[in-house]
This record gives sequence, structure tokens and C-alpha cells, in this order.
Amino acid sequence: MVRRWMGVVVAVVLTAALISMGGPVPATGQQTGIFRVPLGGEPPTIDPYFATDFSSGDLSFLMYTTLVGLDSSGKLIPEGARSWDTSTNGLVYTFHLRDNVRFHSGRKVTAADWKWSFERMGDPKVATSVADVVLPGIAGFDAQQKGAPGLAGIRVLDPLTLQFVLNPKARGGFLNRLAYYAAVVLDRDVVGQGGKGWYETRDAGSGPYTLKEWVHNDHVTMVSDPNYFLGAPKVTRIEMPVVTQATTRLAEYQAGQLDLVPVPLADFQRIKADPVLGKELLVFPRAQIIWFGPNPRVYEPFKDVRVRRAFALAIDKPRIARTVFFGFYQPAASIVPPGIPGFYAGYKGLTYDPAEAKKLLAEAGFAGKLPPLTIAMNPIAQDYQMAAEAAAAMLKDNLGVDVRLQKTEFASFQQGMNRRTAFQAFMTGWAADYLDYSDYLDLLLYSKSPLDRVSYASPEFDRLVDEANAAPTESQRTILYHKAEALAVEDGAMIPIVFTQFALLKKPYVHGMQTTSALSGWLRFNSVSIQK
Amino acid sequence: MIGFLTYRIALTVPLLLGAALLIFLAGHYAPGDPAQVLLGDHYTPAAAAHMRHELGLDRPLAVQFVAYVVHAAAFDFGVSYVNPARHVRDIVRQTLPTSVRLAALAVLLATLLGVTLGASAAVFPRSPADRLIQIGVIAGLSVPSFVTAALLVLLFALRWRLLPVAGWGTPQAYVLPVIVLAVAPLAYITRISRASVRQVMTEDYVRTARSKGLRTRAVLLRHVLRNAALPIVTTVGMAFGYAITGAFVVEVVFNIPGMARVAVDAILQRDYAVIQTAVLVYTTLFVAINLAVDLSYAVLNPRVRF
Repeated sequence: MVRRWMGVVVAVVLTAALISMGGPVPATGQQTGIFRVPLGGEPPTIDPYFATDFSSGDLSFLMYTTLVGLDSSGKLIPEGARSWDTSTNGLVYTFHLRDNVRFHSGRKVTAADWKWSFERMGDPKVATSVADVVLPGIAGFDAQQKGAPGLAGIRVLDPLTLQFVLNPKARGGFLNRLAYYAAVVLDRDVVGQGGKGWYETRDAGSGPYTLKEWVHNDHVTMVSDPNYFLGAPKVTRIEMPVVTQATTRLAEYQAGQLDLVPVPLADFQRIKADPVLGKELLVFPRAQIIWFGPNPRVYEPFKDVRVRRAFALAIDKPRIARTVFFGFYQPAASIVPPGIPGFYAGYKGLTYDPAEAKKLLAEAGFAGKLPPLTIAMNPIAQDYQMAAEAAAAMLKDNLGVDVRLQKTEFASFQQGMNRRTAFQAFMTGWAADYLDYSDYLDLLLYSKSPLDRVSYASPEFDRLVDEANAAPTESQRTILYHKAEALAVEDGAMIPIVFTQFALLKKPYVHGMQTTSALSGWLRFNSVSIQK
Repeated sequence: MIGFLTYRIALTVPLLLGAALLIFLAGHYAPGDPAQVLLGDHYTPAAAAHMRHELGLDRPLAVQFVAYVVHAAAFDFGVSYVNPARHVRDIVRQTLPTSVRLAALAVLLATLLGVTLGASAAVFPRSPADRLIQIGVIAGLSVPSFVTAALLVLLFALRWRLLPVAGWGTPQAYVLPVIVLAVAPLAYITRISRASVRQVMTEDYVRTARSKGLRTRAVLLRHVLRNAALPIVTTVGMAFGYAITGAFVVEVVFNIPGMARVAVDAILQRDYAVIQTAVLVYTTLFVAINLAVDLSYAVLNPRVRF
């Protein structure tokens, strides 16, 4: 008898022990002052200079400070710098720093910290992921890449005055690049003392929030910095659980476990129609384009510009926007999305004209003779597959080409695109890192760019981009970029399909959140308050 | 006994080496280069070459494998490709207990409930209860766990708000994942228990026990269950295997920071260091479970002696 009961006791104790053993404490139960926003994946790093994915980017954005920031409309605003002057030739920028910006350690941020930080960013031995985005316009960057110590173009005039001398050939978009979320100042004491994984337990930032805890694969917790230079944030704690599945994020939001989540496209219409969730839905433009990439290296007919144009003319973009994306996305005539300064408004591009498309195809000698075409689809979001399916049907109907769709897993897709010799054509997207024309044209189509995945090698296009980057004023630069953009569109180098939008769900008790067309759709949470 | 134990443990070494080699080769020949995945849109051929060098991927394959095995023997699995500041050993230390706890709770639930249900069904064959249990077994075996999970979340988390949708750590958060993970093993254990108990009940010694006037309860506990235990224990060992593999779905669906979810992420990101270690750990777990089942025979059945 005793033995039998012993068994039960042992079982109960074992179960209790299993349940109570350690384990991370989750974010449940809402208290005022806590804001709960999911991360889409475990951040690979929180070193801003290596932050290239959304999770790392979001965290860097909340904890660090740039010299120049963006407001909700995409306009440049002072941030770490209180103001700046430009020399008459536009090649020397002098920044006057705020005197109340402090690192989370309490130390004041000085011009020397900025110089040290940007030199670390450019250091070829550190090989950061963002140097090519932020620094190319600064004089001395090329020399630093070849081994020169430091960045000659950055000068510390006094502790609160920082000067940049630009490279005349690559000056374009300098301020927009400084507003990139990774162009931040680092606390060199933290970076220096922390060794390789210095960002694991603390941050080197001066932003509104500071790292409290990073439990790998589970959550990141941040607390507000009461000394933040724009005023102490109202929300004192941000909890960011790692939730990899979009549907799980949505369910957690519905169950009240999260306060702000992105909406998967598949659920958009259901949520819009829902009497409760529909009111919590935020929809606004995103600086992202979905585009079709014809690859002349693999699909012979694409070598003929007439064939590429025929493809562009045979795809009814307004109809895709209207029926496939239920009017949620806008048809794209140009390449650079509306959220980017200098957007080419009013440009018509290649509008749907199947008769003209057939004519061009016949002229090129391919009428009814196009070999079968396989379109690879970016698997990361459903949007690309939906766009590819619609475009394939239109190409079949209008040009009589036998189109097949290929779905690979993301790693293979990325590799196939980069290799340039794998896919005949692909459907993918591009979202802004920073709000500037160069983030699209220079990267995606310039012949020397490693991301020119459609092998567009037009000397005329390259010349226009070079001139744009050397243009002394923004308006001159914009005119040159518009010419280059129109040339690429009319050459059918890439076929723009739609400009996308953000759809976020936000709880009604979250107030004061500002949106942006870049990043994850929101600006730093220092203006957010929770009122229940 | 000691000799057998040594023999069995020694046997695991070539097994684990073979598994390591297989997964190493599979990872190497699968499409998708880790350097390209890690660089993403910041890819340049030069940066990719630099990264491959950093990761040691430019060394000959045999050298990579030998280095891997030598380090693994000392429990050094290297660093994650995705976050080089993290040792894979630390990732395992952090996530494996979560996965094992989840699987153990599911197996515990499945065993207690499965044996009870199976024995009850066997005692009252062709009764309505037996039919119901049989239908439940078929449903449990055929409905995939992601369907069960979605259904339970819809009802218990979203409609009735009784339990959290996802997460880990609080006792409430354990309920749904443990139930979902327990369903398939529960069905197996119930089926085997029923068959095993029914078979034993037809034995002569059971009739003898009854005829000497023992109560049904005593017959069942002392004579039937003990003799029916052998196949059930084997099934419980297998159930542990089911629970561990089932965790690949359950941990992702319920967002549980366990080894299986980490492994899924690692596969998508081509984090070879983590993938190889995860496979090695799971292989070791399976081998250990099988060993435990074999040894338990000796305890349960006096006729088995090693």
C-alpha cells in the first residue's frame, strides 16, 4: 500500500518540479507604462552597425541616436544635432550638436564620439554592414577602405561642433543617409570594454530606451531613459517578445497579449471588416515596391528591349492593385515609391496596352515563339506570390507565353537572385533602408552594384546616376534621377508592379504613436503613452 | 549487466559519428549558401568571400568535418553563424531544458491517461466507452498537431480567454502545448495498452486469479498490468520520440523558446553550427531513450537478463 502511494507522490513531485523549473518570465498582464511589441525573429545582433534585419533594426532604432532624424512625413529634422550649416559649394556640412545628449551611462555625447563611431563604422577590419550606405559621400572613405587610418573628411572643431567634408563625386543624398537608423553614435567605453559580444547585456546608445534584458529566442526588454534629450518617454518599459509566426502574433494581439502588430495580407480583409479590429487598423504608405525582374542572362528573349517592353505593357498593374490586393496597394508607374523625397509624381511609365505589346513582340520576331518562362517568387511574403500569379496569367493571355511559377525557400531564392545566372525572371520587392533615391536606383540598377540582379548595364543610365550623385543641389539631383528612372522603366530593365502600404493593428489605449513609410512603420516610441 | 551497458554505450559512438557525417554533408550540399543568407541585401562577392573565410567554410570539407568532430567531443560546438557572439553550447544549455520539459510533460500526460483509457477499454470490450476510445485513438493519430493547436487556441485562448495564445513560463502557458503534443503519443499508448491488456486477460493465470476469488481491481493491478507493461514501456519510449519531433511544430506554433524552434530558425538561416548541434543532440536523446527502454526490460521482466 505504502509503495503504491509512494509512486503517486513521486509522480506529483516530478510534475511539479518539471513545471516550476526556471524558465523565462513571459510578458502577461497589462500594466500602465508597458508597451508590448513583437520582434519577428531573434535579433542576430544589437550592434547597430551590423543590424540589417528588422528585429535588430527596430532595437537599434529605439536605443540609439542619429545626427539627423525623420518626422512622420519623411521630412529631415534635427536629432543629435540641434542644427547644421552648409557651405556655399555644398561640400562642407557643419553640425551643431545638442549639449544635452547623454549616453545611457550618463556621459555626454561629444563630437569626438561621433568621429570615433563613424570611423569604427568605416573600419575595413571591423567590416560593418552599413558603411557602404552611410559613408560613401564623406571625403576619405575610399582611402580608409584602402588602409588609411581614420576618416579624413570628419573633423572635430570643438566638443559640440562636428564637420563633414564631402567627396564631390558622391555627395548625393548625404543628409538622407545620415538619417538611416544605423548612422548612430556609439559609447566607445561600452564597445571597447564589452569585447566581441558587447551588445549582449548593455547598449552603447543615447536613445529614449536602454537595454534591460535580452533573453535569447524569447524576448528583449527595454526601459526608458529619464534623461533622454527630447524629454523622458511616457512609456517606461517596452517588452518585445520574439514571435516568429505572423498568425501567432495576430492571435496574441487579439488575446490582449500584444499592443501593436503587423497584419498579414491574408488577414487584411477579415480584419478590415471586423467591427472591433477594423477600428484598430492603421493603414499608411510604405516605401516599398513589388517588382518583376526580367533576367536577360538566363532568358534569351529578354536581351531584346522590345521583349522587355512588351512584358511591361502586357501586365495590367491597376487591375493587380485593385483585384489581387483589393485596392490596398497602389499601381506603380515608376521605381521609387511615394514616401521617398523627390518621388516622380505624374509619371505615367508604360501603361497597360496588350495590342502594343503584341506588336512589339512581333517586331522582335518572337510572336507565338517565346520559349516557356519560369518566374521565381520571393517566398518571404505572400504578396510576391499573389503578384506573380496575376502577372503570369496576364502574360499567358496577352503574349501567349507559357509561364510557370517557381517557389523556393528563402535562402535558395536569395542565392539564386544574387547569382544572376539562376532565374529567368523573378518577382520580389524592395523596401527602403533610408529615404533616398540612391537606395533604389544606385543599388538595384547601377551596373557596378552587386545588387543589379537584372544585369542592367546601360551606360546612359550609369552616367545619369553618376551625375545625380555629383549634382550640387537636391533639385538638380532629382531631375537627373527622374531621367535615369524613366530610362530604366522604358527599357523594361525592371517592371514595377505595385507600391505597398503598411497595415498595423494598434490597441486603442496606445496614444501618440507616430508612423513612417520606412523601417517597421513606426517612429521611436518616446511620444507614446498608454492610457486605459 | 555492466558489460552490456558498456557495449551499448560504445555502440552509440559510431552511430553519432554517422549521424554527424550525414547531417554535415546534407548541410553542405543543400542549396543556399550561409554567407549569402547572412549578408542578405548587403551581399557583394567580396563580402561573401570574407564571411566564408571567417566561418571557416573555405577550408576543405574533410578538414571542416574533422575539426567539427574533435571540438564536439569536447562539447565545443563553435559559435552561431548568425550571431557569432553566441556559443552554440550556450544556446543548447538555454533551450534544451525547455524542450525536454515540454516533451516530458506531454509523455507523462499521455502515459497516465493512455494506460488508464487503454486498460478501461480492454476491461469493457465493445462497450460504448470502448468504441468512443477507439474513435478517439483514430482521431488522435490522424489529426495533425497544427490543426489541433489552431482549434484549441481558437476555443480556449481567443473565444473563452482562459489560456494564453502562446508563450512559455507561466503554468497556464504550458496547458495547450502539452495537450497538443500529448495527443499523438496518447493515441498510441492507448491503443497498445488496450491490445496488451486484452491479450493478457485471456491468459490462464488471470483466470486462476479470478477463480481463487480475487477482486477485479486486484487482478487488474497485480496480475494483468504488470504483465502487460512490457509493450507499453516500449511504446512510452517511442512516445518520447514522437513528442520530441512533434515539438518542431508545437514550439513554433506556440512560440516556445525551445531547441526545436531554434533549430527551425537555424535551418531557415543556414546556421550550420546550430543545425549540426541540434541534430546531434536529438540523436543523442533518441539513443539515450532507447537505451533506457532496453534497460527497463530487465527491471520489469525477471526473465530478461543481460
